[in-house]
This record gives sequence, structure tokens and C-alpha cells, in this order.
Amino acid sequence: MPDYTVPRFDHPPRPLAQRLGAILWPSFFSAAVMTMVFFAFVDPLALRDMTFPDMPLTRTLGYSIAFFMFWLATAASSAFTWILLRPASRYNRPLPPE
Amino acid sequence: MTKKIPLDLLDDGSALYVSERKIYPRDVDGRFQTWRKIAVVVLLGMFYVFPWLRWDGRQAVLFDLPARKFYVFGLNFWPQDFVFLAMLLVIAGFALFFFTALAGRLWCGYACPQTVWTEVFLWMEQWTEGDRNARMKLDAGPWNRNKLLRKGSKHALWLVFALWTGFTFVGFFTPITDLAARAPLLGSAPGWGNWELFWVLFYALATWGNAGFLREQVCKYMCPYARFQSAMFDRNTLIIAYDPMRGEPRGPRKRGMKGAAERRGLLDAKTAYDYVLRAAHYVTGSVVAPGTTAVTDTGIKVEPLPRFAPEELGDCIDCTICVQVCPTGIDIRNGLQYECIACGACIDACDDVMDKMGYPRGLIRYSTQNAIDGKPTRVLRPRVFVYGLLLLALCAAWAWGVGNRSPLIAEVLRDRNALYRETGDGRIENGYTLKLVNKDVKAQQFRLTLQAPAGITLVGGGSSGGTQVIDAPAEQVLNLPLTLSSPKGVRGKQEIVFKVQRIDGAAQADVPSTFFGPM
Repeated sequence: MPDYTVPRFDHPPRPLAQRLGAILWPSFFSAAVMTMVFFAFVDPLALRDMTFPDMPLTRTLGYSIAFFMFWLATAASSAFTWILLRPASRYNRPLPPE
Repeated sequence: MTKKIPLDLLDDGSALYVSERKIYPRDVDGRFQTWRKIAVVVLLGMFYVFPWLRWDGRQAVLFDLPARKFYVFGLNFWPQDFVFLAMLLVIAGFALFFFTALAGRLWCGYACPQTVWTEVFLWMEQWTEGDRNARMKLDAGPWNRNKLLRKGSKHALWLVFALWTGFTFVGFFTPITDLAARAPLLGSAPGWGNWELFWVLFYALATWGNAGFLREQVCKYMCPYARFQSAMFDRNTLIIAYDPMRGEPRGPRKRGMKGAAERRGLLDAKTAYDYVLRAAHYVTGSVVAPGTTAVTDTGIKVEPLPRFAPEELGDCIDCTICVQVCPTGIDIRNGLQYECIACGACIDACDDVMDKMGYPRGLIRYSTQNAIDGKPTRVLRPRVFVYGLLLLALCAAWAWGVGNRSPLIAEVLRDRNALYRETGDGRIENGYTLKLVNKDVKAQQFRLTLQAPAGITLVGGGSSGGTQVIDAPAEQVLNLPLTLSSPKGVRGKQEIVFKVQRIDGAAQADVPSTFFGPM
């Protein structure tokens, strides 16, 4: 059986730039692709008329808002993945002293 | 306790990849397990019974997605009530903070669907395959008639239960009596729609997979809450904790010895935690917990423990039953771990052992870190009050908001095509669409009046100078075209107000808009 008592390989924390890059870049890329595909079929002005017809939204603003909303969602997902992949030892620490 | 318990073989230890070790939780009875069983019955009872209850001639709890309406007993929710759903999520968040800061992961141990369904699936596993040892033996043994029969009946039970779960789930979205009447093979034509069938099967598959196979892996690898526990815990939070000052050094002994507190007193914290660390690295017990704890992961070199004389031993007899009963397979003696779902199985198991040894209960107990370390505990502390007050305020605001929702929504949109048009006799007309939502469960009448300057009147408003009575059926959205007309000579932009009032006076709405004449 596997010996669970030997210290397991525990990767040291990665540099901040690597962590941020691995979360923000793939999500940025996905958001860009999603924005392009989405607006190939939907006109932001039509979307405005269905939702907030009284707001003075332009197409450019519609594209921008949608892109950042997509990015927020994809970045949140990437950050979640990062949290789940961190090794247990990062979490299993004694409670901080008072 | 001297006989070694045979362990499962899953990996020869040579590969870097370690497949997940199957955990066979040992059945245990006790205070916490009784509470958990009550929680299972109440929560699953709610899930399976609620869709069958009736209220005012309709299903009591129904999330009618095609009609975009949610019914929860006496309340009905519209898409416009989205803010209450958002608030409910905020309330859920604060409730989680509050209860976690106060009493640890109550959610995980008692209320999480993952835990609750896993518990029921485990019961079925015990009925068909037997207790922990029998299950391990069955898995290790060759496939024969007995194994086939036991495994087969387990999966048959699981499958029926999972299908019923999937059916109930869909019953929250489609009237369940109708769904039952159309059940495939049993009910009448036309049977289930493709999407109904898909969601019943999908939810059944998810239940079967999560509660039957993934189990504690969902908590360990998929749940974000576990990983944020340290942000909500402090040394005054109630947690499941082992008392190493009393328990260490651990080891088997003959019966009839006095408890450690009486016999040799409690150890100091430094020595006790050092013994824990060393014991975790040189496991002497018969069962090893999968090692994901800080104590074993850090890779610190420690010396093995010396042999202790029986009189020096603490109260822990190292029977490892606390490890065997653990549904996530950890060793609670290694300290607080994010894998711990606070089910209290180890407490019940250890209390049982302490009773048999004649030692006082509570070597593993539901307590705070401060209390374990012999320091004063303050359960009612500022953060608990802050979370509690916020939670209370939010709940009150939500209840008030839901209770005081207007049963009427009125919106007016100007026609897009033209700013104004001139009729043959020189009057100026503007077109509008009134969107009127009667949220009440009964049909209602509404009076529409216009408040406008410069002789602007509602066309078709009758002789009274612009009043219309609108009949709105129960829970309907009406789109009514309206025309306003003004005498010749009205110019530019005029501010107007549409006033909608329910005939019985229970609701009203003022909708401002504009009227345009030639510039």
C-alpha cells in the first residue's frame, strides 16, 4: 500500500506574477472570444431596447460592458480553480494566536 | 485491539500518482450521530414532500420557469423581484459567516446536500454490504455470487433512490402530480418531454455519482467553503478537537488503569503537541489516515517516540476508531484540518471507548481551541454580534420588503417610430404602450388617469376627460396601446404623469412620461 506517512511532495508557492498571469490571462482570452462570438449574433442596441431602453447606451459601450462582464465571470472561475488546486498544507495551519 | 485490521491495496507505492484511497466509514452511534440522523430526515423530508403539498389550489412550492414565476407557499415571485433573490443570497452568506464563526462547520456536518445524501447512500451500503470490515473484505475478495448479489442490490437501491430524487427535483419545476401521471412505463400518454426526461436522469446520475462514489472527495477537492474556514475560525470558535494534553502519549494498555488526569495530570502544551507530531510520523496504530495534514506534510524530521511505561500514558489508547469512523478519512488527533466536516463521528466513537475504559468522556470534544489549551473562552465575542446583527437586519429587511411589495407594476414606453403625429383636424397625437402587471392571484380592475398640462387628454377616455378602466386577469402582464391627444398649438416637450390605481385602492403607481408637440 502507499505509505501515507512519508512527507508528500508539496510544491512551494509560485511567484505572484505567475499566479496572477495564470488566472487573468486565460480568462481574458476566453472573455475576448466570447465577446466576439456573442456579438456576431446579437446587436448591443437590440439588447439595450430589451432591457434598459431609457439608458443612453452606445454600441461601443455595450461591447465594453459585455467584455468586462465576461471577463469577471471567467476570471472568477479561474481564481476558483486556483483555490481548489492549492495543496492542503496551505490551509491546514494552526489557528492564529489571538 | 492487538489484531491488525487488514487494509486495502490500491497502489504499489512506486508510482508518483496516488489514486484516491477508498474510505470505509465505520458506523457509530451517539449524540452527534442522532442529531445528524434528525437533520437527514428533516431536510430530505422537506425535499421529497414539499412538491406534493398544495396551497390555494396550486402546488405549494413550484418554480415555474416557463411562466417566469416562483411560488413558495403563500408567496409568489416575479422576475421583477430578482432583488429579493439577490438579498436571499446575501443573507445565506451572512448566515454562513455567523454560524461558522460561532460553531464551526455546522453546515457541512448537518445541512450540506452532499453530506445528507451521502449519509443515506451509506445506510443503503450498510444494509446490503454490511459493516466496515465486511465491506473491506467484500471489496478485496473475488467476484462470486455473494459479492454480485450484495453489490447488485446496493446499486439497485441506489438507482431507485437516485431516480426518485431526480423525479422530485424536476417536480419542483413542473407540477409534480402531472409529472407523476405521465411517468414513462407507468403513466399515461404523452409521457415525459425530452427535457424532463433528461433532467430526471441527469439529476439521478449526479446524485448516484456524488453520494455513491465521490462522497468526501467533493468536500476535499471541490468545495470552496472548506478552504475559507480559516478566515472564519478563531480560537473561540467551536470545533471538533482532540485534547493532546490529556491524550498523549497515546498507546494501548491493560484495562483497570486510572484516567490520565487522576494518575499523572495533564501535559504542558509544548510536550503534548510534540508527541502528536512525532506520533503522526511514526504511526503505531493499526489504521493510517491518508496524509494531507500539516503535521505530516511539512516534511520536518522528527525523532521517533520513546517507549512509555503504562503509567506515563495519556488517555488515548490509540485504538484508531476515531480514524475508522471518519467519513473523510482523516486523523483528528493531528489537529484542525480543512478536510474535517464537523460531523462529530469521532467524538461519539471516542466517548464510547472512554466509557469502556472507565475514563471521563471528551478526549475528543466539541470545544474551542482556547478551551483545549486551557485558556478562557469567550463564545459571545464582537464578530459574532456583528454578524448576528447584520443577519437579523437583513432578514427583517427582506421580510418587510417581501411583505410590502406592490401588487402592481406599471411602465410606460413611448412609441419609437415618430415623436408626434398631426391628425386631419390639426390636433397633435403621441402614442404609448402601457405595460401593466397585475401580480395579485385574483383578477383586478385598474383606473388609469392622466395628469397633464395644456389640455392633453387620453383618447378613448370617455366623457370624463381621460379616465380608463382596465380589467386585468390574475397574474397577467398587459400591454395596452395608449394615445394622447392635445389641441392645436401645443409645442415642445410637456411633462405628463400616468396614474394607475387599483379600484379597491390597495395599490397605485405614478408613471412620469413626456408628450411632444412640434418644436
